[in-house]
Amino acid sequence: MIALDAAGLTKTYWYYEKDPGLLGALRGLFRTRKTPVEAVRDLNFEMRLGEVVGLIGPNGAGKTTTLKMLCGILHPSEGRIAVLGFTPSRREKAFLKSIAYVSGQRNRLFWDLPAEDYFRFCKAIYEIPDDLYERNRRRVIEVAEIGDILTVPQRKLSFGQRKRCELAAALLHDPKVILLDEPTNAMDLLSAGRVRQFIREEAREGKRAVIVTSHNMTDIETVCERVTILDKGRILYDGLLRNLNHADHSVKRIRVRFQGTWQIESLRQLGKVTLLQEDEISLEVEPARAPQVASCLLSTSAVRDISITDPSLEEILGSIYGKTS
Amino acid sequence: MGQIRRYLRIVSLLIKTGLMQQMAYRPHFVSMFAGKVIRIALLLLFFQAVFLKVDRIGSWSYDQVLLLFATFHVVDFLMSITFHRNLAFYLPQKVHSGDFDARMLLPVNLLFLSSFERIELIDFASFLPTLGFLGYVLSRLEFSFTGGQLLVYLILLANALLFLFAAVLAIASLSFWTTQSSGLARIFDSLLKVGRYPIEIFEGFWRSVFLYILPLVLIAQLPSEALLGILSPRAVLITGAMTGFLLALALLLWRAGLKQYQSASS
Repeated sequence: MIALDAAGLTKTYWYYEKDPGLLGALRGLFRTRKTPVEAVRDLNFEMRLGEVVGLIGPNGAGKTTTLKMLCGILHPSEGRIAVLGFTPSRREKAFLKSIAYVSGQRNRLFWDLPAEDYFRFCKAIYEIPDDLYERNRRRVIEVAEIGDILTVPQRKLSFGQRKRCELAAALLHDPKVILLDEPTNAMDLLSAGRVRQFIREEAREGKRAVIVTSHNMTDIETVCERVTILDKGRILYDGLLRNLNHADHSVKRIRVRFQGTWQIESLRQLGKVTLLQEDEISLEVEPARAPQVASCLLSTSAVRDISITDPSLEEILGSIYGKTS
Repeated sequence: MGQIRRYLRIVSLLIKTGLMQQMAYRPHFVSMFAGKVIRIALLLLFFQAVFLKVDRIGSWSYDQVLLLFATFHVVDFLMSITFHRNLAFYLPQKVHSGDFDARMLLPVNLLFLSSFERIELIDFASFLPTLGFLGYVLSRLEFSFTGGQLLVYLILLANALLFLFAAVLAIASLSFWTTQSSGLARIFDSLLKVGRYPIEIFEGFWRSVFLYILPLVLIAQLPSEALLGILSPRAVLITGAMTGFLLALALLLWRAGLKQYQSASS
């Protein structure tokens, strides 16, 4: 079932330019320059229930703006969106009961009260039936591992603990579409790992559509099968994560540690030398040639260790962004 | 009926949550209560001073002026414990910080939530003496009033609240464009205080302003005149029409503002 369908989605912001300093501020009172910023441009996107999509891109790429349009916070300047058949900007009750949006940088829980009080607030606002509430409450508490902090006021919790409580609260009403904006932002390794586990668990049964934005590629690699890469408001790539490497810049990396002497000139004939140390080099070659190059290296030199790997997601993205900038 | 019950439940939940948050800090709770009591005491002292020093204001006698004062403060209290601070101050803050996002995601009427999100039960404590004061003033009136007059008085009180709601909503909605509108809200609050004096104390330009442009007379003066039996049915109709017009305008601004909302960066 199609969970999300966006066509020609565009969002233009306007802001007033202001010169720096006090003089600039004074001048700004009388003379303003209104400047448009196209945060999202002609975005076409479709997603099915059961998919987990990573929405990635550099700062200002339009990720958060896209999520906010999908959940009805922002009205698109152009284009149309359907989420579970609803138009988000109409903010219909049935639509709002079917989605959850969690921002990694904002706190929506009651600052002076424990998460348990916010859970009860959600129960009343979302009109969650008693049995469903109890079932979901138990499940999200277990998965988010927050059983021991439920009665602690939010202001006394660490950032990671607060975020886990918030994620749990966002899922109490059983949303079909979950939008997570940098869910592991500023978290330590342990908390981030728990959140990733949480997202995986939620997406496991295939009844939900989950979109995750993150600058942490471990989040994306751990939880997403599909990625959509945005830059300057446009989609650069939309497809399976595992196909990303083959999309347009196929390369394999062969890392070799030598035992004895080796000739740099002969290595340069095999591929692009990217890392050069006393006894270790890294070669970038076309994927089809990788076995042949490795075999050649093993037969012509004394090799202590050899490995063939794909470039990291960060490197692939760096190369994609580099081409567009 | 189901929807009314649901929203009443939400109001009670918001009140309960507000109270729990205030009680999270016991010293704050106690000092707030003391603050409210002092505020009421000062208000009563002010009324006493008026009694002692002034004979008449315009054509209004002592008791009639006291009725005007009491009516104004009842409306002012009802406004301040419900929608005023929510719309005039909290809403622009949330629009500015982007915290409004979280409210937009809740499956509740957004205008309702924005207007009544924080209702502080402690304020009801300070409302009771005001009501008591109104009762005292009514008992002092030299002539009795009919049930019909009382009914029109209550309807005009509701109309005054609706008028103020529309005015505050219109000002608050501007924050979607300006990102800050609390300055305008403060100017409105200052002007609002004019409503507790008889319009007769103003002449010329300002009288026209407070009658036709910013008709503050309909907050306390017109309900008081209705109770005193000196208000024409035509004035009642015009008052209702003015409120209806302002409310329609405010709702248009609110809807346009929601479309305009730009949130804040992540």
